[in-house]
Amino acid sequence: MALLRQTYLLLCKDLLLELRRRDSLLTMFFFGTLLLFVFHFSFDPAPDKVAEIAPALLWLAFLFTGTLGLAQLFQSERENHCLDALLLSPLDRGALFLAKTCFNLILMLIVEIVVMPLLWILFNLQTWNLLPQLFLVTLLGTIGFCVLGTIMSALTLRARARELLLPLVLFPLMIPVILATIRCMENVLRTGEFGDATPWLRLLLGFDVIFLTVGVLIFDWVIES
Amino acid sequence: MGAWGFVSLAYGIVWGAILLYLIVLKRRYASAAAELAALRSAEVTSSDVER
Amino acid sequence: MALAAIAVGLYWGLIVAPPDAYQGDVQRIMYLHIPTIVAAYLSFFLVFVGSCLYLWKKEKRDDILAYAAAEIGVLFTALVIVEGSIWGRPTWGVWWTWDARLTTTAILLLIFVGYLMLRSLIEDESRAASAAAVLGIIGALDIPLIHMSVYWWRTLHQPPSIFRPDKAPWENVAWPLLIPLTINIAAFLILLFYLLSLRYRLGEMREEIKARRLDRGG
Repeated sequence: MALLRQTYLLLCKDLLLELRRRDSLLTMFFFGTLLLFVFHFSFDPAPDKVAEIAPALLWLAFLFTGTLGLAQLFQSERENHCLDALLLSPLDRGALFLAKTCFNLILMLIVEIVVMPLLWILFNLQTWNLLPQLFLVTLLGTIGFCVLGTIMSALTLRARARELLLPLVLFPLMIPVILATIRCMENVLRTGEFGDATPWLRLLLGFDVIFLTVGVLIFDWVIES
Repeated sequence: MGAWGFVSLAYGIVWGAILLYLIVLKRRYASAAAELAALRSAEVTSSDVER
Repeated sequence: MALAAIAVGLYWGLIVAPPDAYQGDVQRIMYLHIPTIVAAYLSFFLVFVGSCLYLWKKEKRDDILAYAAAEIGVLFTALVIVEGSIWGRPTWGVWWTWDARLTTTAILLLIFVGYLMLRSLIEDESRAASAAAVLGIIGALDIPLIHMSVYWWRTLHQPPSIFRPDKAPWENVAWPLLIPLTINIAAFLILLFYLLSLRYRLGEMREEIKARRLDRGG
């Protein structure tokens, strides 16, 4: 499919750029880690309470780290009028959307793979065996975040006070994802399996599918603004 | 606060806010209408001048 | 004519309210609360429709409609929350509670305040319009998901509490209360359309002003 091929090409371009300069990845990574430390000093929870707030802390850290990534998402396109060039080419806008979403997704996943175990170490959690399931939840949540985030990042591209406007516009829309991921993780940490939390998983999946589709369809109008 | 106190507070705030918005709207409306009239008459005079 | 509509609406609202049956005076706030909610939801529905139409046909008037509806919708939603809070104080003893509906309404408010901010912060008018339209559509699509997730959050882990009854479905309203309620809803809808028409005409005038200024300058 032409759409997928174009997506792949655009994605490779972004990844190559990132591999060379690594500025986005490094800032996101250090910011995420920094947040963990700040949380540890702010909350200083008793050992038994930690498992309760760990999902929330994790997701707060990811949210802010991800927003950082989103702010820089179209940076390479803004320089040198690359965006206009891209738009002039017969490229499917949906491919641009998918490529940017995947790019941010990959960046965030790299950060998350490191930060999650880090949280477990810093807060002395013992439930290492649950990490795979938790990571699945995180994956679904991050996809949702990247999908909506890419749309919002593109929408606010030419707005003033962009750094403030982006979170302001994005976070309320993210609430289903935030609720779903944190509840899911809490459940897994408490009971060791998904069980009750399966509706949340389905919600996440539904959210991702809906907004992925909407994003691909609507990106034409997003990018011209 | 008695029950009627709450009721009047609620009604008061709601109608107050709506009234306020109405006033603001009307003011903006008036200034926009004035500006529009000015622009329109300026257009008429300028087209007079052209002739 | 519109002025008459407002006067009638006001009159009806205030006069009909006193002479009816009630269980505790505070119940009367419902005559304000439910109509405001109806008006707010209708406004946001109009934002959604206006946004879709604008993206599809690119006609200015759909955008003006969306902007007008959003502004008024934000006003009414803020009022809904204030009303709910005031109603909650004597009924539940608290000014605020994170119950499902109140929370979803607050989130709705946040989303559409964001909409208004997006519009005002983008310099280019046509860009602002299409950006806002996209946001409007995504916001509207997200609302059911938000409602679902907040509702699950509140009921899955908390036993249905006494918080449910007063905000409960209005189908359960006793018959004698239904009449003034319907009258008030109608009054508020008339008010809504009056405000909308005013605001819409304001938008139209602004468009014309811009167009004429452009002509003059060019």
